[in-house]
Amino acid sequence: MSRIIVITSGKGGVGKTTITANLGSAIAQRGRKIALVDADFGLRNLDLLLGLENRVVYTAIDAIAGDCRLEQALVRDKRQPGLALLPAAQSRNKEAVTPEQMEKLIGAIAESFEYVLIDCPAGIELGFRNAIAAANEAIIVTTPEVTAVRDADRAIGLLEANDIKDIKLIVNRIRPEMVQLNDMMSVEDVLEILAIPPIGIIPDDERIIIASNKGEPVVMDTNLTLPAIAFQNIARRLDGEEVPFLDLMAAHNTLFNRIRRFFRN
Amino acid sequence: MSDDSDSPISPKDTDLDELSLETEAERAPDPPKSPSPAKKEGDIALVNPRSQVRLVKHKGKLHLIFPTTQKLPVKAHWTEIWEQLKHRLNAGEQFWQPGTPIELIAADQLLDTRQLQTIAEALAKANLDLQRVKTSRRQTAVAAATAGYSVDQQTHAMAVDLQQVADSSAENWSPPMYIKSTVRSGSEVQHPGTIVVLGDTNPGSTLIAAGDILILGRLRGIAHAGSQGNYTCQILALQMEATQLRIGEAIARPPESPPEGYYPEIAYMTPSGIRLARAVNFFKTHSFVINLESWVDSFS
Ligand SMILES: Nc1ncnc2c1ncn2[C@@H]1O[C@H](COP(=O)(O)OP(=O)(O)O)[C@@H](O)[C@H]1O
Ligand SMILES: [Mg+2]
Repeated sequence: MSRIIVITSGKGGVGKTTITANLGSAIAQRGRKIALVDADFGLRNLDLLLGLENRVVYTAIDAIAGDCRLEQALVRDKRQPGLALLPAAQSRNKEAVTPEQMEKLIGAIAESFEYVLIDCPAGIELGFRNAIAAANEAIIVTTPEVTAVRDADRAIGLLEANDIKDIKLIVNRIRPEMVQLNDMMSVEDVLEILAIPPIGIIPDDERIIIASNKGEPVVMDTNLTLPAIAFQNIARRLDGEEVPFLDLMAAHNTLFNRIRRFFRN
Repeated sequence: MSDDSDSPISPKDTDLDELSLETEAERAPDPPKSPSPAKKEGDIALVNPRSQVRLVKHKGKLHLIFPTTQKLPVKAHWTEIWEQLKHRLNAGEQFWQPGTPIELIAADQLLDTRQLQTIAEALAKANLDLQRVKTSRRQTAVAAATAGYSVDQQTHAMAVDLQQVADSSAENWSPPMYIKSTVRSGSEVQHPGTIVVLGDTNPGSTLIAAGDILILGRLRGIAHAGSQGNYTCQILALQMEATQLRIGEAIARPPESPPEGYYPEIAYMTPSGIRLARAVNFFKTHSFVINLESWVDSFS
């Protein structure tokens, strides 16, 4: 059975779309067949980050409405053979899509892919329910900020209420120097509240923004960077490999030790 | 009350009152509180337990009671009810036998066949067998009949009757509700009895109990004990970091600065408001005085 994973957060702007694009590419690099579904109707972004904007002809809504075949709506990436994107519609009334329709659509996609990643919109309204309808796993994304963590907590509660029990955590945009100065919540603080297993910790890194602007996820860069390794590690952990967490606090080892201690307990 | 003794049998209480007790909740030691407390409207939004989905055992039968439509925010009826139902079924200890028949009191909620089906499936997963639907809506009655349940279409009378049973005092409290998971932001748990949490409650969560609240973990959300005006009720937590504590109609916020170390603490009513004390010796040193509706330190 293929794995259908929704990337969600509650709060907007924490890195869901960035993570969907990079994690998707990292999984494709491992030779997996993967489909990325942009469920953020109205705010189409994922195609941009993947550099596929100019190849979008049909969207998820067209496929649901039967205006095209599913195959036609899936955009393939020449640079990444295993990867396909189902773009979101920008125009048509997004309220028109129901969770049942999304479930059916994504179920159909899952028949020909090993992984389906769903990029969820912010909020906990209909868009959220559409995005989670077909998922059997979830990755919660948060930044180390009180508001993001609060919203992530709410989203976890809703996922649980909808019988999605396999939930992992990514803490994005960690800035070691700020954690060190006690100006930022540590990963440990975040884990303590959310109480779900972490699957990745991603540094705040401007190369991620530069890569986004170029439409080429950092993991596709031939130079291996720290954020790229972080994404590749998440892909490996998803595949069941045991990969130690990156030591983002290389200069000052304290956080890493504290995380390690957390896992041991 | 604020004795400075540090003797082990009379632990020094943390004086919440002094720090930041909300003034509207201030209760003077004398004259004692009038026997029928005037309900203060507005300031303290005491959440009505009738706005919740409830599982009630009455005369040996199980009932699933939905709130009436006026008790819920206009737009979110079904979503709200569904979420509450799932939490209610997931969180609670199952105090029933597998296959126990259950009756749905749908009040004036509009439910279609598919929604009834969904409810029945969720109940079946919790080993409950939906058999009968009581409703005051004709469409809901038709949907229920179509789906094959026995139907009672009637006025509010029956539902109101049960509501009162559910609302009543200590001897009628439901058995304690056990929550064996993290209570997360946005979830509001109400129970017409005592709530026991084996885990943490997170900021943004709310627990409301007609009885006591016992948290074997961190209390970080809002906790409201004795929500129907029972001032003997208490709130206990292994680690007290509550956003807000309420007992009856009194409200307190814990000190801004966290204490140096955490130890189990108990929040209780005194003549001057809610206070915190170390939990270990509390019951050796305190007793409840009915006409003050307060706990007093028997050693001071
Ligand atoms: N680890 C990171 N380091 C630096 N910038 C980041 C990082 N993750 C995300 N961003 C930036 O944050 C912004 C919001 O990210 P996005 O993925 O669109 O969030 P969401 O999809 O959750 O709304 C983007 O400008 C993105 O480039
Ligand atoms: Mg996005």
